[in-house]
Amino acid sequence: MRTGLQLAIIATISLAAAGLTYLVKGPPTRSHLCDPATRKADEICLSEITKPIGILWVDARSRTAWQKNGLPEAILWNLDPAEDMQAFEANNAEKIASAQKIIVYCGDENCGISRQVAERIRKLDLGLQVLVLNGGWRALKEAGRVKD
Amino acid sequence: MIRTACILLAIATLAHSAPLKFAETLREVHAPADVKTVTTDFTFTNRSNKPVTISRYESACSCMKVEISDAKLRYAPGESGTIRAEFDMGNFSGEVDKTIAIWLEGDPKDKPSITLTARVHIPVIVNIEPKTVKWPLNGKANPQIISITMKDTKPVRITKVSSSSENFRHELKTVTDGKSYELVVTPLDLSAPTLAIFRIETDCTLSKHKTQQVFAVVR
Repeated sequence: MRTGLQLAIIATISLAAAGLTYLVKGPPTRSHLCDPATRKADEICLSEITKPIGILWVDARSRTAWQKNGLPEAILWNLDPAEDMQAFEANNAEKIASAQKIIVYCGDENCGISRQVAERIRKLDLGLQVLVLNGGWRALKEAGRVKD
Repeated sequence: MIRTACILLAIATLAHSAPLKFAETLREVHAPADVKTVTTDFTFTNRSNKPVTISRYESACSCMKVEISDAKLRYAPGESGTIRAEFDMGNFSGEVDKTIAIWLEGDPKDKPSITLTARVHIPVIVNIEPKTVKWPLNGKANPQIISITMKDTKPVRITKVSSSSENFRHELKTVTDGKSYELVVTPLDLSAPTLAIFRIETDCTLSKHKTQQVFAVVR
């Protein structure tokens, strides 16, 4: 009984505090945060890209999404079976070989395709550094680099 | 008080664990070299004590068809179901991951609580090593060898090799007919950056393995 009472008191205080916070500060923002100290080794945060020169952007989303709202300078390279993988290699080999850094993005941190595309580009052994953009297209959108 | 805190912690942990328990969230699928579509099932059970509703599911690829058993989206406690995924494999070979994101009722729009992955392994019939041969600018024009090994049970022969650049000389050597070949590539001029694409055509009966390409780079 004593435990139940304590439980009820703690729950009431917690709920009241949460409600007050919500009223004062509003709903939680779900913006994408990338911490250079904790991101994976093959990733890059958008905030770390200080010199945009020599970067080849690779859009790993669908052709439709790339055409609709991809970075204007990005090339398309996805894993859609309707696409010609050899054409991706042949058409982009020169750009990959001459880029200082290749950064692949897909929709957001959940999509997983960018890492696979990055691995395929890495296996060609043409580029210097192939990285995955942490947060993907969503991070670009939040930074105002692309529009929906 | 400590006991109460422990109970609260336990409740919080239960509340945050996904109520749908999948037998596997990663399915390894080994498909034959000529595969066109791959189907795999993910079975699950509602292990929570309240009904669970699948509010949304989507694949990152248009090549995938996802079906939930009997199109049922709401599962009572203890009830089980199956998510069936069918992938069009196109001209893939090697290893490829296909993912499905599952949102349960109450999940944030941008954060599905479950991600399922089908890892499909498709045999590589024409194995090429290395995929790219490189020379440094103004270095020595030593010939480099690209090894081509056929992994099919039947012989696969190279019928033609063509290059996109005249700055490289190439010679195809047969090590074992229908099994193993060597492509010897030599640059002619190392004074300027160059890239060449070599297209290797074979008589492989599987169209997706018929043509391969390798690269030669002077940088």
